[in-house]
Amino acid sequence: MTTEQEALLLELINNPPPGSEMAKAKEFGFDLTLFHSTLRLTTTERARALSDAAEIFEAQKQSSKDNS
Amino acid sequence: MKLEDTIRALYDEGVEFILIGGAAMGLQGSAHVTKDIDICYDRTPSNIGRLAKALRPFHPVLRNAPANLPFALDAATITAGLNFTLSTSLGDLDLLGEVSGLGTFRDVLAASEKREVCGVPCKVLSLEGLIKAKTAAGRPRDLYVLPELRALAEAKRKTGLE
Repeated sequence: MTTEQEALLLELINNPPPGSEMAKAKEFGFDLTLFHSTLRLTTTERARALSDAAEIFEAQKQSSKDNS
Repeated sequence: MKLEDTIRALYDEGVEFILIGGAAMGLQGSAHVTKDIDICYDRTPSNIGRLAKALRPFHPVLRNAPANLPFALDAATITAGLNFTLSTSLGDLDLLGEVSGLGTFRDVLAASEKREVCGVPCKVLSLEGLIKAKTAAGRPRDLYVLPELRALAEAKRKTGLE
């Protein structure tokens, strides 16, 4: 992500143009700031983040089972 | 879910596949979290053989099926079926021969983009393809992610980010 791209993205996140898909998503309740985290990652980093999140999900699921 | 290992195992065996569903969303930059991997696979006999061979080391069984139900994910089984929901030692894996809203492997391929994961080339369903598929699936959980996917597509279009 270049400095210019980041500035553009932050502008879209902070001031989504009325009627835009960004504005609609924000109105729907989606946290647009998440894009600032995800879009700066490479595809490989996104893949690792997905695997890590799934692992945490599974650990929590197992913990809930063990405690019930 | 071991996404990188799954992609590498399929690639190493030469399987023609496209990453779809939640994992494709994540690779496209969505913040959505998923616990399974969905792929669309080419149903040519040679590819089905490669798919069965690639997954064999990971002990695929039908997910949520009785433990004593006889099942072997071999070429004959894949040929006789179309979509499979599996548990493997790599995590939950869904194999789809067709995708609603898009069609067969060739149609999904036309809606995919080439990416690289851990140095391995991988085809990933595009945001436009994901939006079509989620719209067609029409379940509440599919419709729920549409605002994010549309906003993500717009953000990428306007910034030139991948």
